[in-house]
Amino acid sequence: MKNKKSTRALTLVDNLNICPKSKRSQIKIQQMAIMMIVLTIFFVFVALFIITIKLSGTKDKATALEEENAMLLVSKLAESPEFSCGESYGYGLSNCIDLDKVIILKEKNEYNGFWPVSSIEIRKIYPKTSDIECTKNNLDNCNIIKVYSKTTDTITQSTFVSLCRKEKTSNGVENKCDIAKLIVGYETKG
Amino acid sequence: MKQRDKMEGFWNSKRSQEEMVGFGLIIIIVAVIILVFLSLSVKQNGTNIESYEVESFLQATIYYTTSCETYSGFLNIEELIKGCEKENVCLNGKSNCQVLNETLKDISKESWNVKQGGFVKGYELKVNSGQQELITISEGNKTQSSKGSLQALPENIKITMDVFY
Repeated sequence: MKNKKSTRALTLVDNLNICPKSKRSQIKIQQMAIMMIVLTIFFVFVALFIITIKLSGTKDKATALEEENAMLLVSKLAESPEFSCGESYGYGLSNCIDLDKVIILKEKNEYNGFWPVSSIEIRKIYPKTSDIECTKNNLDNCNIIKVYSKTTDTITQSTFVSLCRKEKTSNGVENKCDIAKLIVGYETKG
Repeated sequence: MKQRDKMEGFWNSKRSQEEMVGFGLIIIIVAVIILVFLSLSVKQNGTNIESYEVESFLQATIYYTTSCETYSGFLNIEELIKGCEKENVCLNGKSNCQVLNETLKDISKESWNVKQGGFVKGYELKVNSGQQELITISEGNKTQSSKGSLQALPENIKITMDVFY
């Protein structure tokens, strides 16, 4: 009787020992699985955060590249024969615009739409004068030459240029160059 | 038995608490390492980029016709710099260096609008002849980011400009 009791007690104890062990291992497996899931989610968030930061830098680079392209187009315009001083001023000046050419060009409607831009304006920066639009008769006292203007809703790019003309002085005809900005407008693309 | 179960349960919960704390510590350490790495990679040192706008400004400036008259006519900035190096004088009695300084100051001021809250925070224009510094004009504040250009002229003359933004 006593042996049966002790055997039964032993079996019970063994069962109690075995059951918690399997339960324990199940719990450990569950813990490991949850930890791995949480770690994966955490690293996914970190990766998303890093990608967001990197992509925002890419957008800035694209904008800077677009700006550089626009600047290059403006400089190309300044060197085009319709604007450029050429050899008229002794030696080849870069970024030089002939004021006389531009005043005549302003009146030529044939050139409307010739360039892939929506507006071309030249604004004298120095010496400073009040804002007066230039015509053939007031070249000495004006500072704005609107060569071409299609729309007003544009973004603009500009570059510094030398605005040169021939001037009669006591020494004869001399070159006179001022500092101006060639401002080119582009239509906004939405 | 009951006591043994209780003890086992106690140690199990202790162990699971330890594991949770360990897990939390690992997360925190990894987060700190990633933040440090990100801050190092995102932080930019002072950048100076070569700028077409500044280059075109310098090119336009050197051909500007100044008020300094000589027997051969009015001098442009390039000729004025060479005259300043030789300490020449204009017909109106002003030295070439004086006219050069005044003209460059005015041109830079009108061209680069430095003001509080503006895009351009400051600029610095230098004219050097070899190692000798002829003219230095500056306005506003120097910042970490700038765009600049250099114009080399004959007779070892260099004009450099940095615009700070």
